[in-house]
Amino acid sequence: MVCKAEGARLVKRYDLIVIGAGPAGLSAAIEAAKCGMKVGVFDENARPGGQLFKQIHKFFGSKEHKAKIRGFQIGNELLEEAKELLVDVHLNTVVMGIYEPLRITVNEGDRISSYAADNIVIATGASENMVPYDGWTLPGVIGAGAAQTLMNLHGVLPGKRVLMVGSGNVGLVVSFQLLQAGCQVVAVIDAAPRIGGYGVHAAKVARTGVPFYLSHTIVRAEGDGKVEKVIIAQVDERWNVVPGTEKELEVDTICMAVGLSPMSQLARLAGCWMEDKGGLVPCCDEFGQTSVEGVFAAGDVAGIEEASSAMIGGRIAALGAARRSGFLTDAEVKEKYDHYAQSLDKLRRGMFSHENKGRTDLVQTDEGYPLSMSLLKKGYLDAEEVSQYPGVGTEKRIGIHPVIECTQNIPCNPCQDACHFGCIQVGDEITALPQVVLDSRCTNCGLCVASCSGQAIFLVDETSEPGFATITIPYEFLPLPQSGEKGMALDRSGKPICDAEVVRVKTSPAFDHTALLTMRVPQEMSGQARFFRRRDVVQ
Amino acid sequence: MAEYMDRSKDIGPYVPQADDDRIVCRCEEITKGEIRQAVHMGLWTMTEVKRMLRCGMGLCQGQTCTKNIKRIIATELGVALGQLEEPSVRPPVRPVEVGVFGNEVESL
Amino acid sequence: MKTEHADVIIVGAGIVGNAAAYYLTKAGMRCIVLEEEMIGHGGSSRNGGGVRQSGRDPREFALAAYAVKNIWPTLSEELGVDVEYRQNGYLVFGYNEEQDKSISVRIETAASFGVHMEMKRGADLKEICPYVSDHVVCAGWTPSDGVSNPMRTTLGYYIRARELGARFITGEKAIKINKIKGAARQVVTARGNVYEGDKIIVAAGYHGKFLLETVGIVVPMQKKLNEMIVTEPAPRLFEYMVGGMSGFYGQQTKHGSLIFGCPSGREYTFHELKNPVSTSVTASFICESLGIDLPILKQLKVVRAWSGWVDISLDGVPVIGAVEEVPGLLVAIASTGHGYGPGPAVGYTLAQLAMDQPSPVDITKLHFDRFDYGKKQPRYQSASSGGALLR
Repeated sequence: MVCKAEGARLVKRYDLIVIGAGPAGLSAAIEAAKCGMKVGVFDENARPGGQLFKQIHKFFGSKEHKAKIRGFQIGNELLEEAKELLVDVHLNTVVMGIYEPLRITVNEGDRISSYAADNIVIATGASENMVPYDGWTLPGVIGAGAAQTLMNLHGVLPGKRVLMVGSGNVGLVVSFQLLQAGCQVVAVIDAAPRIGGYGVHAAKVARTGVPFYLSHTIVRAEGDGKVEKVIIAQVDERWNVVPGTEKELEVDTICMAVGLSPMSQLARLAGCWMEDKGGLVPCCDEFGQTSVEGVFAAGDVAGIEEASSAMIGGRIAALGAARRSGFLTDAEVKEKYDHYAQSLDKLRRGMFSHENKGRTDLVQTDEGYPLSMSLLKKGYLDAEEVSQYPGVGTEKRIGIHPVIECTQNIPCNPCQDACHFGCIQVGDEITALPQVVLDSRCTNCGLCVASCSGQAIFLVDETSEPGFATITIPYEFLPLPQSGEKGMALDRSGKPICDAEVVRVKTSPAFDHTALLTMRVPQEMSGQARFFRRRDVVQ
Repeated sequence: MAEYMDRSKDIGPYVPQADDDRIVCRCEEITKGEIRQAVHMGLWTMTEVKRMLRCGMGLCQGQTCTKNIKRIIATELGVALGQLEEPSVRPPVRPVEVGVFGNEVESL
Repeated sequence: MKTEHADVIIVGAGIVGNAAAYYLTKAGMRCIVLEEEMIGHGGSSRNGGGVRQSGRDPREFALAAYAVKNIWPTLSEELGVDVEYRQNGYLVFGYNEEQDKSISVRIETAASFGVHMEMKRGADLKEICPYVSDHVVCAGWTPSDGVSNPMRTTLGYYIRARELGARFITGEKAIKINKIKGAARQVVTARGNVYEGDKIIVAAGYHGKFLLETVGIVVPMQKKLNEMIVTEPAPRLFEYMVGGMSGFYGQQTKHGSLIFGCPSGREYTFHELKNPVSTSVTASFICESLGIDLPILKQLKVVRAWSGWVDISLDGVPVIGAVEEVPGLLVAIASTGHGYGPGPAVGYTLAQLAMDQPSPVDITKLHFDRFDYGKKQPRYQSASSGGALLR
């Protein structure tokens, strides 16, 4: 399908039209405006930023990827920058169609109008997948992204007792946010035999006591006019339900986090050649240019990844448009392109890279450390296996020191930058596991704990008081416990293991809303206590 | 030109399945069984099935269900997913009121 | 490359080809239907679904009437597929005095065929259609006209024909007709396959023009782009076909959605393209027209626009019947936007001719060589979308 512009009355002509004001679109607009292009951005939502504004967690990557900054803050930064560069941002404006040659028709309020450009970047993102099962149309079955929108944008709880279906990063991140919002996450299930998202995301959910059921599927949802319970069951290697393994869970909400599909309709309307990459995406060259000259794609619509790479993809597409329209020389384009391509490459390495997606046969990290099967199947590291990783180690330490339970090759290194005393080393390859340097001097500043987007760093001191140890954990639940408060320490699986007393709760602008909670536990629990549960909280 | 298909090829009989009553297309409330039966009537393309049943033709224009419909048809025909065509996209990509669609402005 | 045989080879799996295949197989004939794209890819699935006798050219009236009297009323039952035929009338709006007169002419023409059509104004008009705006000053009302669902009808014929044993091959583009001993016998496809039969029916829309040229037959025709919109389902508003002298037409389908089309003047701009496109203008134009005539529809959401080719003959009526110069060749092309409602009758007629039976109605004025006199054609002003070449 190609759609044709035919004498439509034109409102305005831009050098570049960007469709979608998410991370990819805003980045494309900023980069293009910096090159001197007149840019118009169109987005159907009331506020720009796309999914960024509901991403309240800290991002991965390195400094250049805006790591350890929360998604919504990145959105604000991008917006500011776009404003300064005089980018026209048309909000509440739905792009209804894209027409040859390089025109769009938009719906703004109670009218429609047409715009033209020399280049168009399609950055329309993705929508959530659904899988049908009996009861899937009952109210209470929602997308995980929808739950996130309800909670984080509108301040509305999606439900009280939630089943999360899908253990990819979306499922894990939203599960944690549901917990933060005060929901009970009854379980996280996934039909795959391994957790799909980052182990650290799973671990921070598991340590609050949420069970993971891998190789499990939904048999049906039941309820009178709304979801009241769900029956889950184990599946075999061929995804068939194993009879007799059914479990009934009482829930009022089922969150589906079973993948995303690119919203590539506009690319198809433009007549772009498409390919199937788990959803139709336009075939693109290295600048994101599609088979239709002047039409570019960036972000999830060009292939599902995450916001950090989408932002770079947007910038690269803008370079392509700038080159095409003569706003940059080939040499200028090359220099910038090489920089962004390198940056993108760093994000695309490691066991979560595109080529490793869906693999269930990996057994060790790039460095040769064995992968924790417990983490992959239950969501937490077994106490016995923790010490084999370079962020933990087997040596008995005197005084306070970081314990980094980071065991997978995730592209991320803020912990290295956070420590000014060289205690933590990741190296140039940002997917490498962090190492705790033995003879370095930890000052208990806590910056590493707060900087870890995966909340996998703890400060442990086993020698300050005979018989006791203090554990400092990242804590992002409100209200914050008080010093002196007594509660339970939970182990990595969320099991209460001993009494714990809050010694201190530290907050600081530098921690960016991650509180550092220090608890005092019996010394023999120092290797296991990883979460604090308040007395008055019944889980 | 479309994929060559001899519509007389035997794809076996329609055998009812336990989940035939399950809704696949939410907007138009089309069930898996209806889609499977359409295939056995000879509707072997996404487009033909959608024209007969309207699945994927509701307010969301198939954004949610196209993948699932494709899987059902491919399974029924015993072909790979890639052998089925993607139903065409048409504007407007979001539903828009008649009164708004007809209200085109020249300048803002 | 292979050669396959049947009694009749049909090119085009639209309403005419499918109906012909159905009536032929029902009568015990063996058919192969060849289709370049998929079933009902062309105009058969891309129209307003009107089934009317009113507003017809005298030359094609008999076919339209035959379909309305003998086929449509029982078609759902016959095919086992609900084709959603409802004979609840056709209301055509006029906006000024001149159109008032044109409608009056139509009423007279209809009367001469024995079709009752009457003028409605003021309260009479509002009684039939309470939703019309003051912009509509009068309307022609034909109670015996009706609507149906083009997609289900076209597919319904296919489903039944296939069930009865007609062989349909899609993705098989016919590129040439071969004559053997002076008669049309073979259809050759782009894949190099050959299909041989005693009779060949060409019901392939605009592509038929090129196919006929391979045996030296010329039908002067061209194609134009028609676009339509479809809304979300609405509560029942009207059960009859609605049209306007401005060219707009449509219906509320059984499903509840409204489908409407209207020419915007861009119909002839895209004839060089293969696939029908959506333009940036026409859907908006349709909505504007709808909003003016039927303001109640303004709040309904449009979920989709679509388009299709209309193959237009030089004089505004279709070309249907036997091509005597090439024995064995039968044709139904250049439907000129009038092809759907009479489609079942056209299919039936071709089936009869293919079995060497007489045509059920007189179709001599739809003959292929009526253009071929080297003389000026009478200027025929078609009431609806046809005849545009002459304007």
